[in-house]
Amino acid sequence: MMLSNILSLLNTLANNTVGLLLEAIAYVPGWLSVGVIGAITGVLMLLAFKYTSHQSAIRHTRNQIKANLLGLSLFKDDLAIGLGMQVNLLKLAGMLLALSVVPMLVMIVPTCLLLSQLALWYQARPLYAGETAIVTVQGAANPAVIEQLQLSDSSAYRLAKGPVRVPEQQMACWEIEAVEPGRHELKFALGEDQIAKELAIGDGLMPVSLTRPASDWTDLLLHPREAPFSADSPVQSIAIDYPERSSWTYGTHTWLIAWFLVSMLAAFAAKPLLNVNI
Amino acid sequence: MSEPKSNISRRTLLTGAALAAGAGATAGASYWLGSVSRVSHSFGKKVIVIGVDGMDPRLCRKLMNEGKMPNMKRMAAAGGFSNLGTSCPPQSPVAWANFINGAGPGSHGIFDFIHRHPHEQCAPFFSAAETIPGQGAIEIGDHQLQLDFWPFNHQPPQTVLRRQGVPFWDFLDSQRISSVFYDLPSNYPPSPSEYGHHKCVCGMGTPDMLGSYGTYQYFSEDTPAGGVEEGGGKRSRIEFEGRSARITLVGPENSMLKLPVPVTIDVDVHRDTESGTALLVVQGKKILLKPGEWSRWTKLDFSLSAPTPLPSQHASGICRFYLQEIGPNFRLYVTPINVDPSKPAVQLSEPEDFISNVSNDLGLFYTTGFQEDHKARSNGVFDDDEFRRQATNVLEERLALFEYAVENYDDGLLFFYFSSSDLQSHMFWWEGEEDPKHPTRTSKEAASRYQYVKELYQRLDQIIGDINDRYGDKATIYVMSDHGFANFGRQFNVNSWLRDLGYLNSRECTSILVDCDWSRTRAYGMGINGLYLNLKGRERDGIVEPGEEQEKLTRQLIARLKAVRDYNGKQVIRNVYRSSEIYSGEATTLAPDLIIGYARGYRASWETCLGELTPDVLLDNTSAWSADHCADALEVPGILCCNKPFVATDPSLVDIAPSILHDFGIATPSTMTGRSIFQS
Repeated sequence: MMLSNILSLLNTLANNTVGLLLEAIAYVPGWLSVGVIGAITGVLMLLAFKYTSHQSAIRHTRNQIKANLLGLSLFKDDLAIGLGMQVNLLKLAGMLLALSVVPMLVMIVPTCLLLSQLALWYQARPLYAGETAIVTVQGAANPAVIEQLQLSDSSAYRLAKGPVRVPEQQMACWEIEAVEPGRHELKFALGEDQIAKELAIGDGLMPVSLTRPASDWTDLLLHPREAPFSADSPVQSIAIDYPERSSWTYGTHTWLIAWFLVSMLAAFAAKPLLNVNI
Repeated sequence: MSEPKSNISRRTLLTGAALAAGAGATAGASYWLGSVSRVSHSFGKKVIVIGVDGMDPRLCRKLMNEGKMPNMKRMAAAGGFSNLGTSCPPQSPVAWANFINGAGPGSHGIFDFIHRHPHEQCAPFFSAAETIPGQGAIEIGDHQLQLDFWPFNHQPPQTVLRRQGVPFWDFLDSQRISSVFYDLPSNYPPSPSEYGHHKCVCGMGTPDMLGSYGTYQYFSEDTPAGGVEEGGGKRSRIEFEGRSARITLVGPENSMLKLPVPVTIDVDVHRDTESGTALLVVQGKKILLKPGEWSRWTKLDFSLSAPTPLPSQHASGICRFYLQEIGPNFRLYVTPINVDPSKPAVQLSEPEDFISNVSNDLGLFYTTGFQEDHKARSNGVFDDDEFRRQATNVLEERLALFEYAVENYDDGLLFFYFSSSDLQSHMFWWEGEEDPKHPTRTSKEAASRYQYVKELYQRLDQIIGDINDRYGDKATIYVMSDHGFANFGRQFNVNSWLRDLGYLNSRECTSILVDCDWSRTRAYGMGINGLYLNLKGRERDGIVEPGEEQEKLTRQLIARLKAVRDYNGKQVIRNVYRSSEIYSGEATTLAPDLIIGYARGYRASWETCLGELTPDVLLDNTSAWSADHCADALEVPGILCCNKPFVATDPSLVDIAPSILHDFGIATPSTMTGRSIFQS
């Protein structure tokens, strides 16, 4: 619960800072935004590594690795020395890994937050006008909630089919047809209460929140954009089956690879300039 | 002050520049030369062939005269319109192979949908392709691994194309003239392109993921508990608990198991009668359907387990769901599971990635050879309207593919095949003037269904008009069909007839595959038009002596077959052909001895095709499949419409290939028996 609260707080922070900065993605081609963000984050991660790691220890360890590699070629006829150096190399590789633990721990949280923000843009595309999608509401244990829940009509979308209510699984599904481009809200009525879920319609790049999540930390990590449902809420999650984005560089299945490759290349390119030992 | 001296001397700089320029020039020239060798040598020449399976010349002429096919009339006025001689027998695999080779069955070796192995005493097999089982394997637990490399050198199972001879596109390919075929029948697996100028998506003859030629799956609450296996489909019962049920889709067999079993996928079904909607959850994907609605294509991932620690293999299939009824009797139809064109598990095109490239641009589409699900209609899973709707889905999909084909066509040969006119005609054709009494429908119903065929012809005419408008003055355009159509009201069981006359024994025989006494059987039927002698030295249990006895029996059978009359005195069989007289070439080993050419209105009975016998020789055809073309070749010619005048007065299927080659300036090869229609 505490972890969920912390993540919720961090998501709010990321939405208001990183999320705002990322709004510029909407105005440039996807390949360019993935490239620029990848390059910047690669350099930032390199700097973070530089200032959170024990640079002199890393340099020393790497020198020792070089010395042992040299020794291996010099004393290749001596089996005992060769084996000893191989053992040393293993130890030194382990030491190098250990020296990376602190910077990795420091970077893991902002990197995860950044990636979950980027996923909003690249993991799925918004619905085109005229396209349909399935909306799934997952309720809490009370089956009556599913029976009572109504999806309100709107000029932004049309109710195409449903609902199919499955009280045994606390689930209800509708099919909606996108009508009006823009960022909208699906509005559900549950008795007197109103429950909302963001809906993205358009043919450009815009943040797409696949799910308004439950207050579970894994869901919060994957779906940072919308406020989570509280543990005692009658509705636990609302998901929209958005279409996949197809692109070699910023598509659903490739954006993370592209981002990773660009950030690694940028970090390696900047390494000698920033004098960082990795 | 002297200038600082460069580390690079002028000589070095000049040498470097010269080398760089030389390398650049070489690279440029190589690229250009490479491009030249890659581009088509048709030099802008365009030939477009629209293959319209089963389009009938009589109906075409009637509609053209009534002004209902104005585009074909326009094209005919500019070039010509003619009957097109079909193959003997006029069955699609035979006919399209004639078109492909520019020669008859003696050249390509396909004589019927079904052939028989004489050495296994008439064991039947599909004529156009054959799957050869693998040999050798390493057994690990429940699994077996076939390793086709040294030192194991196992033979994995493979499907081979049985069509023989040289396809006409090979002559274009060798001249670097590009050719592209969409949905070509009688070419699965696709024949390879030696020079890389030929592309082809396989058509009729391509199996589904189950290895069959289309097996639908059907789930309803009124199906018997044990399910029903029927020709072309599987029925299973669906049982709801509350609003939910689970059904199982049967996929391909896992051939890595010692005892292969099909891989299955569970689908959760939820129905809400209040909103009249059902929810299907397939591998995490949700589909909402109302009664009468079709889903889009859904990808299915079949996981084929491998021996530990090897990772499982995956095969991708696609299907569409059709919710027929939500209650009180829930009924759900699932199309045959097609091979996923975006990620094909078997080779469906030449080159191999051609179909996935098409699919990346166009989305998913049917890949099985038979796309209109006539079996669902014949088995009563579909009614007429449902079948027509499904056939219309197929046509819409084909039209999108056609548009893609035209958009991506530059020059050379473009071939596109439409199946709708064949399979819809099989179900809806009924020429009332020829035979007013339909075996199962009222005359009014039969006429209204026949109207569907006429409307389809008009739709196809629009397509022809569109291509003529776009390419009429730039390309030679052929519209051709492999055969025409005829009513099929009465069926003739050749094996029962042979039994009644004492040629096939015993009198109690129910199937030549089960209880035939070969020691007393002199002739048998197999396939739709074929009749074989039980010949000594050829058939495993042959008794008819080659030579005089063979000749005497042949003459007797021909005379008696021609004399067969129906209860009303109508002649049943128009002609009987000796294969030795009508076939020439090197691929005649599997040819029947006699080919039966039925009169209009008649065809081989359903049972006789696979060797079953019925008490009566002649009986009504009560199937929904109420029209056919497996008659005498002279009864059901196809059509040829060309925008370029031709001189041949009686063109035939075998003439199309030489004509296309002639258009590209290639002389008719010696492998062909046809002649260019443009030469007298």
